[in-house]
Amino acid sequence: MVSVGPSGELCEKISEISGQNPFLCMQCGTCSASCTGIGVMDLLPRQVVRMVQLGRREALACRSIWVCSSCLACTARCPRGIDIARLMEALRAINLRKGHEVLSPERIPAALLTEVPQMAVTCAFRKLSA
Amino acid sequence: MAEEKEMVSIYIMGKQYRVPYGVTIMKAMEYAGYRFIRGCGCRGGFCGACGTVYRKPGDFRLKVGLACQTVVEDGMHLTQIPFYPANKATYNLEELTPTLATLLRHYPEMTRCLGCNSCTRICPQELQVMDYMAAAQRGDIAKAAHMSFDCLMCGLCASRCPAEIVQYNVALLARRLYGRHVAPRAEHLARRVEEIKAGKFDAEIERLMKMDRLELQKLYDARDIEP
Amino acid sequence: MKLPYFPGCTLYTRARGLDHSTRAVLAALGIELEELPNWTCCGTAFPLAQDNYIGMVAAARILASAAQHNGRLVTVCSFCYHVLKRVNHSIKNNAEARRKLNDYLEQGYGGETVPVHPLEILKHDVGFEALRARVRGRLKGLKVACYYGCLLVRPAAEMDFDDPENPTIMEELAAALGAEPVHFPYKTACCGSYQVLNAYDVVASRGREILAAAAAHGAQVLITSCPLCQFNLDWLQGRGEGTVLPALPVLYFTQLLGTALELPAEGLGFESHYVDPRPLLLG
Repeated sequence: MVSVGPSGELCEKISEISGQNPFLCMQCGTCSASCTGIGVMDLLPRQVVRMVQLGRREALACRSIWVCSSCLACTARCPRGIDIARLMEALRAINLRKGHEVLSPERIPAALLTEVPQMAVTCAFRKLSA
Repeated sequence: MAEEKEMVSIYIMGKQYRVPYGVTIMKAMEYAGYRFIRGCGCRGGFCGACGTVYRKPGDFRLKVGLACQTVVEDGMHLTQIPFYPANKATYNLEELTPTLATLLRHYPEMTRCLGCNSCTRICPQELQVMDYMAAAQRGDIAKAAHMSFDCLMCGLCASRCPAEIVQYNVALLARRLYGRHVAPRAEHLARRVEEIKAGKFDAEIERLMKMDRLELQKLYDARDIEP
Repeated sequence: MKLPYFPGCTLYTRARGLDHSTRAVLAALGIELEELPNWTCCGTAFPLAQDNYIGMVAAARILASAAQHNGRLVTVCSFCYHVLKRVNHSIKNNAEARRKLNDYLEQGYGGETVPVHPLEILKHDVGFEALRARVRGRLKGLKVACYYGCLLVRPAAEMDFDDPENPTIMEELAAALGAEPVHFPYKTACCGSYQVLNAYDVVASRGREILAAAAAHGAQVLITSCPLCQFNLDWLQGRGEGTVLPALPVLYFTQLLGTALELPAEGLGFESHYVDPRPLLLG
């Protein structure tokens, strides 16, 4: 678990990395309704943004940020114009920059590694490995 | 002071030494009292053991060279890079195919390349390291093999890579795959091997083995020499 | 007409069919693609962190090298197109990005190159009406679901490609070729993308939804522009997990165009598909 100090610090860090203001969020849930990975997420995108607003560490520790596919549907549809995909990336970045990653080569089945278009390997490493 | 003009100041791991102008870094270090008991290698610019990094005052750029080949300059602040721990896959070359899949299976981290060009910039052989890695990443084994041919495996590229790739090991695999599975076979070599197995040269070798030294010397002196 | 071309890594290996069919169809239409002499992977992921530019260097270098040759740079893979377009946008509109990226480049670059997608070339340079005149009804009656995926159309302001919720450029192409485009609601839904390697359930469930929706609206094939979409939807069915019967072949739009133009099938790359499209297209 990554320690980020009092609630304001997490929010500031995320705003700095993402360039977004999480307090614009009015919790309408459009992002959750549009989300690709929602079937395997523990926190809905809307809930992740709420955690960021409250400065809670669940935002960094949830599975949701790691099963996001960066499809930008949330960003495209947010009525407040928040680039939620950038918020998710910031949460991943904070983890990755401290060395906490979810994907390493051993975790990929060898057969899949050589079958899949290698852009998937490149992209997955960029998003999910430190 | 004529003698002073022939000495330059260099800084080895932070300590200043006066060394003769015009010698290589390696000779200068030995002049200064360092003894190379390893990390010295061939002394001929071929083995890559003596990779050295240095800077000059007032210039932020990092420079590299092989200690056995690079001449000292006044003001050089240098240190030697010991061999970086490298991810080295084990494989049986006979069982591999010369494809991207093979490279990916053994070095999946090569897809982490950011295209930052740090490897190319640091190569003492001036190889296009990023470019041969790009060729490898698109499965062009032949290109990766050819472009990396002069690599000395000095390890400087791997030391700079933010993606923690060991470029020279990927290139080595590419060259091995190329040599074993892609390069055209030398037919005349295969024919000669067959001739040897058939005993074509057995009698001649027997004759040579029975000759005394003087006879051998005469034969040797009279051999065909290419102009 | 000659245009500089950036294939991208995957088009050299797993998506050879997309590379070959793109070159073949554009050549048949009088456009020669000239591959850039020296290129690296584009990076695949447009970096969404705003405090770090290293992930954009590769794409910036590619765009800069194309600026020397011509104004436009053709790329067909949705990921490459997305990255190049967005990095170019950053360089043009973000002074800090421009300055920092130029530090890494061997020559200066200010955003002059215009990344273009072959669909744009087909619409604006060739013209769909001209295409309609060239085809002879090979695809008549074929119901085609046009699957855009996520990266071609979003974010709309930067991609400037088509309507992000209801794009129609592929439907226009399919109609011009004599096929029958079918509307289905998941055409811009993400297939799961790189989660194929981390959370495969996302790809499996989304893939099934997309295929089921296309089939429910009468589709006989899907067309796409992205090698990862193609793989995710094709492999799922090849593994017997697609639940749609009969299985829906997943084509590249260039393969459909090549079939309509009656180019030789061997050059279009159908062999690597898990769900073989040939019986449907050529039978």
